[in-house]
Amino acid sequence: MISPIHGSSPRISPRGRRRFLRQLGLAAAGTLVTPPLLQSCRGGGGGADAPGAGGELVISTFPLYIDGDEPGAPGSVARFRADTGIQVRYLEDINDMRQFFARIQPDLAAGRPISQDLLVLTSWLAERLIGLGWLDPLPLAEVPNARNLIPSLRDPSWDPQGRYSLPWQSGIAGIAYNIKATGRELTGVDDLFDPALKGRVSALLEMRDTMGLLMLGDGKDISQPSWDAAQPSFDRLEKARRDGQIRRFTGNDYQNDLLAGNLAACIGWSGDVAQLSLDDPDLRFLVPESGGVLWADVMLMPKGARHQEAVARWLNWVYDPVEAARIAAAVQYISPVEGVQEILAQDPATAELARSPLMFPDAGMQSRLKVFGPLSETEEARWEERFARITEG
Amino acid sequence: MLASPKAEGHRRARRWWPWALLAPGLVWLIGLYLLPLLALVPLSLSEPVSRFGLDTVFRWRLANYGEVLGAYGPVLLRSFGFALVSTGLGLLLAYPLAYGIRFRGGRWQPLLIGLVVLPSLTSYLVRAIGWTSLLGDNGPVLGLITALGLTDLGNGLGLLRDGRLLNTPTAVVLGLTSNQLPFLVLPLVVAMQRIDRRLLEAAADLHAGGLRRFRLVVWPLSRPGLASALLLSLIPAAGDVVNPLFLGGPNERMVGNTIENLLLVQLQAPRAAALALVLMALISLAVVLQLRTGGLDDLALP
Repeated sequence: MISPIHGSSPRISPRGRRRFLRQLGLAAAGTLVTPPLLQSCRGGGGGADAPGAGGELVISTFPLYIDGDEPGAPGSVARFRADTGIQVRYLEDINDMRQFFARIQPDLAAGRPISQDLLVLTSWLAERLIGLGWLDPLPLAEVPNARNLIPSLRDPSWDPQGRYSLPWQSGIAGIAYNIKATGRELTGVDDLFDPALKGRVSALLEMRDTMGLLMLGDGKDISQPSWDAAQPSFDRLEKARRDGQIRRFTGNDYQNDLLAGNLAACIGWSGDVAQLSLDDPDLRFLVPESGGVLWADVMLMPKGARHQEAVARWLNWVYDPVEAARIAAAVQYISPVEGVQEILAQDPATAELARSPLMFPDAGMQSRLKVFGPLSETEEARWEERFARITEG
Repeated sequence: MLASPKAEGHRRARRWWPWALLAPGLVWLIGLYLLPLLALVPLSLSEPVSRFGLDTVFRWRLANYGEVLGAYGPVLLRSFGFALVSTGLGLLLAYPLAYGIRFRGGRWQPLLIGLVVLPSLTSYLVRAIGWTSLLGDNGPVLGLITALGLTDLGNGLGLLRDGRLLNTPTAVVLGLTSNQLPFLVLPLVVAMQRIDRRLLEAAADLHAGGLRRFRLVVWPLSRPGLASALLLSLIPAAGDVVNPLFLGGPNERMVGNTIENLLLVQLQAPRAAALALVLMALISLAVVLQLRTGGLDDLALP
């Protein structure tokens, strides 16, 4: 690595070498400037076109969204494998849903099956995939446990007949804060714009969660979101970004900043904060009086999925209340399976979870939770463009 | 004169040899660099077929360029601003460092150069994430600044923002500078290696003092190194994605982040292509200008 500095190669004249290197430098000028990024969109993106390994159920989902293996206590994936003999490739490879969509899009658009048999994605993306015709209906006839689905998630707006999707977990977008850093309890959306917290507030890159929470704070209806009604919230967000009130826009990574003390308050997700507060009891989660955004991540079967029988077994297995209770205890989101609360209440180790209003919203909480309604294709484009202009400067 | 067929064959073989040697590299560059690059040109003049696809139709849509320049002009300016400032700052650090290594390093020279390169052996993503804990609100750097009572000064100079360092322009520039440092030091050391010590001795014999020796001998002879250092640092810095993402906030986004967002989030491949080509054109322009003004043939590259 160091030797070339001490002398030029004897075979090429220094002048020729310099010219060669200069041309190389010019070429490098081009290479370093991102065209690889654009190339990646042309062919099918990473991994999506790899053939599914024989007889293996392939699931793509978000990280840390199930109970993992612990010493002496196998996680759900391992227990499913042991119970059914079905091999599972459980991929925690979804970080940003829109990027994941860009990855699977080329294959699904061309009518080619992707390697995954089951995807866990948020409801608005499920709605888009259903509309595009890129999903197969779930084999619900072979999933008797699907009847355990909690009533509030039946006949959802994103999948009116409930044929294509079954919820994995659901949760709340609200305000997470560190009471030591804020020095006081927070009460509502306005607190995020408090000058005392300047530069120590973050919002989510997930547009529906951030905009939904702000619009609810402005007293707007988000079940039928309209462009005009959203403008004051957009303006408020834009101003806060320009003024440096908002430090970052984040995905899951707000958690590190919250723990490290770089953030005093942020828009976050209920289950994350429930888990984090085990490490740091100063963390709080607030669903403002004006309302919190209720969202659901759902299980979907991409068109041409190869192992539909195994998918049915998996769905049935995770909708067994006993198994669902274990998953719920680990992820601490709202379980979509009826009976989980009772099972958690019976075990002294988990009894406290059964009383959590964030996992099992009572009537008062329920009335404050709103689902962000559908946006038409053209509306969504307009919303996302304005939102991106705010988040990406 | 008639050449024997054998000699003719030899000559032909000799003519093809260099091409045969170049072939693997050329195939690589043409297939994986040049062609995809050229494909960006029609892509940048296309329109998306649908909202949810990356498929596009070619329509000579020059308006893409106007749109991205209008919308993201300030981001482009900011990117080049950050790149310039970090390169300038890096040169201030790198020049004395290179000078020290060359003229005071003695037998430790290879080791010292190794130490300059050492940080580059870890992924720059990991380094950027490492910086976030160093520069965080409760991190050691800010702790030191606070302990020394320099917070108000930092705020006043605009280096800190409300007493914070992480997610400010300062943090992004620091990150970029630390990334570029080896690329600045190495060409300078190379250029200085070429300075004949006897020239310095001759200058000393002619009663030139230390400063004068530097001004008349070292500085002019190290300038080719300066020129290539500038190029090697400016180019990657302007297109950086990682530092603004981790060390900056939404007001510090650079053009690489915008291109990524256009392509992967907004699914606007034509606009992303247009912006990437604009960036490349600006950088190529900077390179050409630099090569024209700086000593063209004496460019020192490691």
